[in-house]
Amino acid sequence: MALRDEVQVGSKDPSGFGVHRKRFVYFALIGLFVVQSGLTYTTSTEVPDSAATLSEQARHGEALYREFNCTACHQFYGLGGYMGPDLTNVISAEGKGPAYAKVFILYGTGRMPAMGVSEEQADALVAFLGAVSATGTYPVRNMDLTVWGTYREMHTDEK
Amino acid sequence: MKSEWTAAKGFVVAGLIALLSGALFGVIGSWQHVIPGVVDAIPFVKSRPLHVSLVIAWIFLTAVGGVYHYLPKIVGAPLHSTRLAWLHLAIFIGTGIAVVVSYFMGRFGGREYWEFPPVLGIPIVASWLLLIYNFFRTANKHKGPWPAYLWMWGTGIVFFLITYTEANLYLFPHFTGNMVRELTVQWKAYGALTGSWNLLVYGTAMVVMERSTGNTAIARSKTAFLLFGLGFTNLLFGWAHHIYPVPSALWIRVLAYGVSMTEWIILARMIRQWRGTLEEGKRGQGSMTGRFLFASEAWVFINLGLALLISIPAINLFTHGTHITVAHAMGSTIGINTTILFASVFFISSAPITKNLRVGFWLFNGSLLVFWLCLVGAGMVKGYYTVLSDLPFQSIMLRARPFIVGFAVSGVGLFIGLWMLTWAGVRTLLRTPGDPAELDIHSAFLVEGPGSPAPENGHAVRQGSTTTLQP
Repeated sequence: MALRDEVQVGSKDPSGFGVHRKRFVYFALIGLFVVQSGLTYTTSTEVPDSAATLSEQARHGEALYREFNCTACHQFYGLGGYMGPDLTNVISAEGKGPAYAKVFILYGTGRMPAMGVSEEQADALVAFLGAVSATGTYPVRNMDLTVWGTYREMHTDEK
Repeated sequence: MKSEWTAAKGFVVAGLIALLSGALFGVIGSWQHVIPGVVDAIPFVKSRPLHVSLVIAWIFLTAVGGVYHYLPKIVGAPLHSTRLAWLHLAIFIGTGIAVVVSYFMGRFGGREYWEFPPVLGIPIVASWLLLIYNFFRTANKHKGPWPAYLWMWGTGIVFFLITYTEANLYLFPHFTGNMVRELTVQWKAYGALTGSWNLLVYGTAMVVMERSTGNTAIARSKTAFLLFGLGFTNLLFGWAHHIYPVPSALWIRVLAYGVSMTEWIILARMIRQWRGTLEEGKRGQGSMTGRFLFASEAWVFINLGLALLISIPAINLFTHGTHITVAHAMGSTIGINTTILFASVFFISSAPITKNLRVGFWLFNGSLLVFWLCLVGAGMVKGYYTVLSDLPFQSIMLRARPFIVGFAVSGVGLFIGLWMLTWAGVRTLLRTPGDPAELDIHSAFLVEGPGSPAPENGHAVRQGSTTTLQP
């Protein structure tokens, strides 16, 4: 196989757009990406810090949530695995709550295996779930749709 | 040249092994949805990350193997360092084994899709730096303006590193401290990360198309750069449709919605040129590469349509957090990425069409279609009852059960199809010593003969001169 098997196109750009113009558009997009990233890291949430900031115990619970790989089966705001239910509002939902969640975490169910979680770890996980619940509501059932295909006031739903 | 090829071949063979292993864990995971407790030794909490990580490894290994294989031929000079390519492969495989072992031992710690302990991210980043160095040192030897696929590869390689690093920002307290910010940044990184590997794979599709048709104008046309620009813009700014229901800032959602809708341009273009695509598909029937490239076009069309619909917030309200999202993910990773990568594998391996390959091809595509439709069906049921009823989770899933059973059954068919294709790919790769004369076996693709311009469609645009690739 010969190495040189390309057409020699020279310096003229066959796309007709020009190398310099391409580079300009490319780096302008990257510049906008940098700006957007900065804004996302600092202003990404509508939830006040008082509601979204995790306590020390909740942070420990968050680390445990990762260590036990709970996301394989469960979701927050619909993000995660689909074997089990969404846990966004498991602490605040009617008929559920911290004690209900703790029993599931400690002993499992028919479908969910007991993960070998200690009492102290279960408390931290419940604290984390409580902190998530304070950030908003999921699923969104407020369908005040607009002609643009969007919906209004998505997190005012009191369900 | 031989060692370069061998390193590339190592990547591709490792990729095929990862694919088959990942698909096996996928089958186990899907049946665990139907029969709780089945294959108890590998519970779902392990089978899911094993499936996901191995399938992602297939995409990376095979795409990177393709880059190492094609780049010297494109540039007209040997790879800058074959030793670094080997080192990259060794680190990748070593890390992959460590990840699999950590999953089996139940050692997690990372987040969804990268559930392994975060420390294993260090060798991944190190190996990727080797690729970046090797790629740009080699690609800079290219004379004249870069074709679109070199832009795609270069961008995909660099942005994978950026977005993978971003995906690990949760290790810093500023991000972990605020749940909403953490979710938002996580999905910002994941959206762009997927876009990065898509650029690697789409660049590969363009190279394979160029090399199998002999038409070098394809990747230098204005259209190719327009499509690259749209894809890149969506990679950078179109990620927030993953998190519409998360209470993130309004500007994030509005920006993502607007950017996502630019993809209608691509869909409209595909519809306008469907006749040319069909004709090209007929021409490609003579090789496995042509068949897979045509199949990838069909899957792009199906999946892009679904992606556009679920990017509309009012529709996303019902589809988010349902199996429709999984259908979209499976359509992208299996339907589009895997078909393109198989086109590349069969191009590199020079595998001739056999009866087994034909059966494998149709079993793969047919099963995937049923699999995809079942996921969409299950998602519709789940979305409807989740939003419009007060039924508990288990009752909703009971209503979706027929679709879940169909998904698990078709998953077995998909696995068998993959097995047949993978086996043929590995066998021909191992049998082919050194650098195969790739054009010889692809003469069947060129009905009109090398040098004929390819038809105008999503991949090929009639413009400028063409050339014959010399074996």
